[in-house]
Amino acid sequence: MNKDKIKQIVLDIIAEIAPDEVLTDVKPEIRLRDQLDLDSMDFLDIVMELRKQHGIDVPEGEYRELESLDSCANYLLPKFETGATA
Amino acid sequence: MSTVSPKDSTADSHYDVIIIGAGLSGLSSAVRLGMFGLKVLLLEKHYIVGGLNSFYAKGGRKFDVGLHALTNFPSPSSGKSSPLFKLCRQLRIPLDSLALQEQTSSRITFGTTDLRFTNNFDFFISEIERVFPHEQERFHRLLSKMENFPAYSVDAEELSTRNILAEELNDPLLAEMLLCPTCYYGSARENDIDFPTFVMLFDAIFKQGLARPEKGIRALLDPLTSKLKELGVERKMNTPVKAVHAEEDRITKIELENGEYLTATHYISTCGGLETETLLQPPPQTKNFEIGRFSIIESISVFEGHPKAWGWDETVVFFNDSDSFSYNEPKELVDLHSGVICIPNNYGLPSLDQKQESKLRVTHPANYSLWSALNEESYAGQKKIWEGKILENGLRYLPTIKEKVAKFKSKTRMTDTFTPRTIKKFTSHENGALYGSPTKRRDGATSFQNLFLAGTDQGYVGIVGAMLGGIAVANNQILRNL
Repeated sequence: MNKDKIKQIVLDIIAEIAPDEVLTDVKPEIRLRDQLDLDSMDFLDIVMELRKQHGIDVPEGEYRELESLDSCANYLLPKFETGATA
Repeated sequence: MSTVSPKDSTADSHYDVIIIGAGLSGLSSAVRLGMFGLKVLLLEKHYIVGGLNSFYAKGGRKFDVGLHALTNFPSPSSGKSSPLFKLCRQLRIPLDSLALQEQTSSRITFGTTDLRFTNNFDFFISEIERVFPHEQERFHRLLSKMENFPAYSVDAEELSTRNILAEELNDPLLAEMLLCPTCYYGSARENDIDFPTFVMLFDAIFKQGLARPEKGIRALLDPLTSKLKELGVERKMNTPVKAVHAEEDRITKIELENGEYLTATHYISTCGGLETETLLQPPPQTKNFEIGRFSIIESISVFEGHPKAWGWDETVVFFNDSDSFSYNEPKELVDLHSGVICIPNNYGLPSLDQKQESKLRVTHPANYSLWSALNEESYAGQKKIWEGKILENGLRYLPTIKEKVAKFKSKTRMTDTFTPRTIKKFTSHENGALYGSPTKRRDGATSFQNLFLAGTDQGYVGIVGAMLGGIAVANNQILRNL
């Protein structure tokens, strides 16, 4: 697992929950909310899909770690790595 | 572990969530929870889903029960901020699949004053400025007050809209004309509407707008039920609940009328706050929900041809015969002073089919106790009598010349009417209360840790409100805490 793969995983999830959003030009360093029409209900779905598809738990207090693709990659990488070795 | 102990076999029939009621809120909760792998059971006492927003066939024709309009149309100005857009995304039902047809135009008519509106909010503002030029500045101040009010927040203060409108506006007629459509589309409170609900409905009706799925309510019910099937959500129809058993601050099991007991970790009830308390065993010491008083009668006439041939090109007309609007449980069976007309064929482009049939729906406030006290014979008789009165009265608010009334009646192929009794049957609400109890629990929480209310008594009303309410309870009370 690496950070680019994680960014792609998050983008794939967004494509699934918000098929009407255009994802070709998402800037990894900018907050997702500032470039896409996503609200707190959509972020819940990102969390739920990470849990369902990859067995990763994101506690409610840490949802803000998912605000940009870069922060997703930084925050999720250790979780993916622990998952892979467990 | 490979062996199954007796304890494990009881765990097999244990659910993560049991939901009472397969109306739009229950169906929406079930889809959300099933989507993320929870083991869900949906219980419904009828043989058909939808609750008040259901459908039936009569005389070889299809009817929707509750659907006048789907509010919150994602118009170019509201777009992705419309709750309807959001709920489609949450349920993963493509908005396009609803094939929404927009209203032509609609009207609020009080005596000799008319305010027209379309799905273009600027047009409604220009109407208000034209009809109430002396209120222009105050109306805009009211609009910014509404924008700044946290109407969508779960702890929004339930202020009286009548009081606020009286403070903000000078002309009482404008206040009454704003109250009429918002009360009819969602006030559980007599003669007033809570300010947060007023703001939400004002946005839903005027800022966003009215539309109808081409296939009616089934455009929503069919994808929801097929999703439940795909997700493996279990559904028991014809299965009324007899009691909800509690110990201290937790629900322990559900008892069905058929004698079966079921257990779950969480329970969601959509049958109403008061009605859920009635199911509790032991019964609660205090009742937390006020009884709703507002119910309706609706008469649907099926007539030959397109409404345009009769000179009717509007979709919805909210009418009142004087300058002051009363929204109460009437003292007689029906109150003809005000009501709502809906011509569903005036959504979308007119059909070119000359042989087509159209529908005219007319709704009035009605008294549940009086209707339910009638025996079967006089119930049927009164229904017939009021059908005639409602139609004749309603035609006064459409561009109709007097001589046409008899002709229209002769072109009416059938009429069907539902009363407060019907509403009680479909919603379980005490008193046939259309919008449930005036006491609302926006977050769905109850005094029991694992019991949540969804649907009308959350205070999010109408089709869109019910669905969003169901989604919010699933999200905030269950999924977020997994």
